[in-house]
Amino acid sequence: MQINEQRQGAVIVLKPVGPLVQKDADQLKARAADVLRKSLGRFVIDASAIAYADSRGLEVLVELTEELGAGGQALKISAANETLREVLELTELTPLFEYHEDVNSAVRSFL
Amino acid sequence: MNQIGGQPHGDALGGRSTVRRRSAGGEAAPVWAALAITFVVVGSVAVTAWLTVRGHAKAMRDARAAQVENACQFVAETASPLLAAGDLTAVRRIVIDTARANALDELRIVLGDGGVLAAADPTAISSHQLPAQLPDISLASTVASDARTVASTRAVEIPGRGRARLEASGPATLPTGAMRDAQAAAGIVGAAGLVALMLVSRVLRRRLGGMAAIRASLLAFERGERSPEALTVDESLGAEARAWNELLSGRDADRRRQRAEHAAEALGAQRAPRSELDDACDALWQGLILLDESLRTKYANGAAAVFLRAKRDEVVGAEITRFVSDDRLVNAIRGVASGAIRNRLTVEVERTGDNGSGVLRFSVRPVRRDDSAAAMILIEDVTQQRVADAARNVFVAQASHELRTPLTNIRLYVEQLLDGEPTPDDRAQAINVISQESRRLERIVSDMLSVAEIEAGQLRIVEDDVRLDALFADLEADYRAQAEDKNLDLRFDLPPKLPVIQGDRDKIALALHNLIGNALKYTPAGGTVRVIVADDEQNLTVDVVDTGIGISPEDAERVFDKFYRAKDRRVAELTGTGLGLALAREVIRLHGGEVTVQSELDKGSTFTLSIPIHARAA
Repeated sequence: MQINEQRQGAVIVLKPVGPLVQKDADQLKARAADVLRKSLGRFVIDASAIAYADSRGLEVLVELTEELGAGGQALKISAANETLREVLELTELTPLFEYHEDVNSAVRSFL
Repeated sequence: MNQIGGQPHGDALGGRSTVRRRSAGGEAAPVWAALAITFVVVGSVAVTAWLTVRGHAKAMRDARAAQVENACQFVAETASPLLAAGDLTAVRRIVIDTARANALDELRIVLGDGGVLAAADPTAISSHQLPAQLPDISLASTVASDARTVASTRAVEIPGRGRARLEASGPATLPTGAMRDAQAAAGIVGAAGLVALMLVSRVLRRRLGGMAAIRASLLAFERGERSPEALTVDESLGAEARAWNELLSGRDADRRRQRAEHAAEALGAQRAPRSELDDACDALWQGLILLDESLRTKYANGAAAVFLRAKRDEVVGAEITRFVSDDRLVNAIRGVASGAIRNRLTVEVERTGDNGSGVLRFSVRPVRRDDSAAAMILIEDVTQQRVADAARNVFVAQASHELRTPLTNIRLYVEQLLDGEPTPDDRAQAINVISQESRRLERIVSDMLSVAEIEAGQLRIVEDDVRLDALFADLEADYRAQAEDKNLDLRFDLPPKLPVIQGDRDKIALALHNLIGNALKYTPAGGTVRVIVADDEQNLTVDVVDTGIGISPEDAERVFDKFYRAKDRRVAELTGTGLGLALAREVIRLHGGEVTVQSELDKGSTFTLSIPIHARAA
């Protein structure tokens, strides 16, 4: 899975491209875990290119937000499409994450 | 060790008890069935051998009886004429030879008065003469035999004198080779049968001993026995026994671990019952630490542990100096915790490395001693704030410079128009400069406003038809003069037909202006700037290729950041706000596209703008 990484100031933005499923989700987990450790949690998932997510993809997102929760934070997700939002609502996972309309507003939330 | 199926321990019944325990332990039906079958087979073979030997012995006895009778008949028939002739010597010789030849213990001719006329044992002869007349005795021939002895009696006719009695006896059977073989075979069969029985018994006991012991262990478990020592079996009973013991050991280890975990949970709950305040503190993204007078941590929330790069259990109860090493911070903590400093102190610490880099702000505050805590530390991650502040400072400096330059030029030319008597040419030149500088000011202010909109999240696109052919024609007209002034070769490579796309024309033009303007700005005289446009059915791609000063890899990562300007000395010599590329990327991203760069220092750069033909509002 292609995962683009961009730095905006001190915040790292990870943009996975494609469906968040199975091994691709594991790949994102590994990458995000590394970024989380190095940046003390200052990172955002740009979900604009995530078409949909399966159960493993949702698990990965939950694992990341739980890991951030140890430090009083939640995983910031920007530009999630309607499909992804619906899945999160159906699985009652919506309250676990912090949502932003675009990357800029997600990055500004670290100020 | 009290094991099932193994060596007994302290059993008063001794050896018999061992056997009984092993068997009572249930070396069950399979063992006994196998033993029974083996016993029947061996028994059958033994009985058959015995019957064969017995039958052979009877036949031997019958044959012996017949032999003795024949011997007696021979003697009787041979001795009769000799006795009639009075030849006792010959008769005695015949008796002796016949007895020897037939292995007779006794063979004798006895007269009616009991006198022994002839005998196998010469010393037994008591009648040395044959009487002239013998009493007539009626005597039937008889043969009698038992297991040991065969005896025969018959009359011996002595013509002219009467009768005598012939008596013979000897062993019932004679040792023969066949008999010996049969007996030996029977013995061998019997011995082999016993050995086979022993071996089968031993093998079966060994093979099934393990299963029997495990069965006994399970039965003990059913009766309520739970001690692992009582349920283990002797491992010498085989692989099954070893596997059983390993299973018990693993189960025991699991139970111990579970008990330990439960105990730890219970103990943890007793030590530190969580309250709403605990949950509230853990919901903070700022770190919160309470210290006592000796700098020992009394409380730390989750964020504090993350910032200190340790587990919460490690932090609580430990000295805070284990986790912070900055001298200023340590001194501040000591001062506040000891009461020597009564006001709040703030220390910012920059951390680098792969294990959490950034700028952390530590606010150390004194806490009333009645709470038995001496100091509180609030930790905040201010990294992004510092980056934003630095960029803003740079922007302010750059913007000031950018605004001052055109304003200065405008002021100079206005003063020139006002002070002197300018010629028409001077007036025209002044107005021209004022106009250019005013447009420049307008762009700078527009960029700053766009940045403000981006920061506020208010930058939006207005979708409409965008005619790209007209757009690129305008761009070429705008930059042709500038390129000529700088002796740059500016080319637009456009496809024969450009599509009409959906998007915000002004924003797209802004992005292209920034890319082309930068290319012309950072390309030395004599260089080349090419604008290459291509489209497939889905995306429009614009490559702005220059032979300019290029961008280092380090700067390339940040060149799209707001207010960022490359560290290159040559860039600092040229005016710029550090906003152009950030704006270009932002507006193109709002159209669902992207702006990227590939560059080589001192060789040139290629900025690529990609935008969907049917752009959508983000």
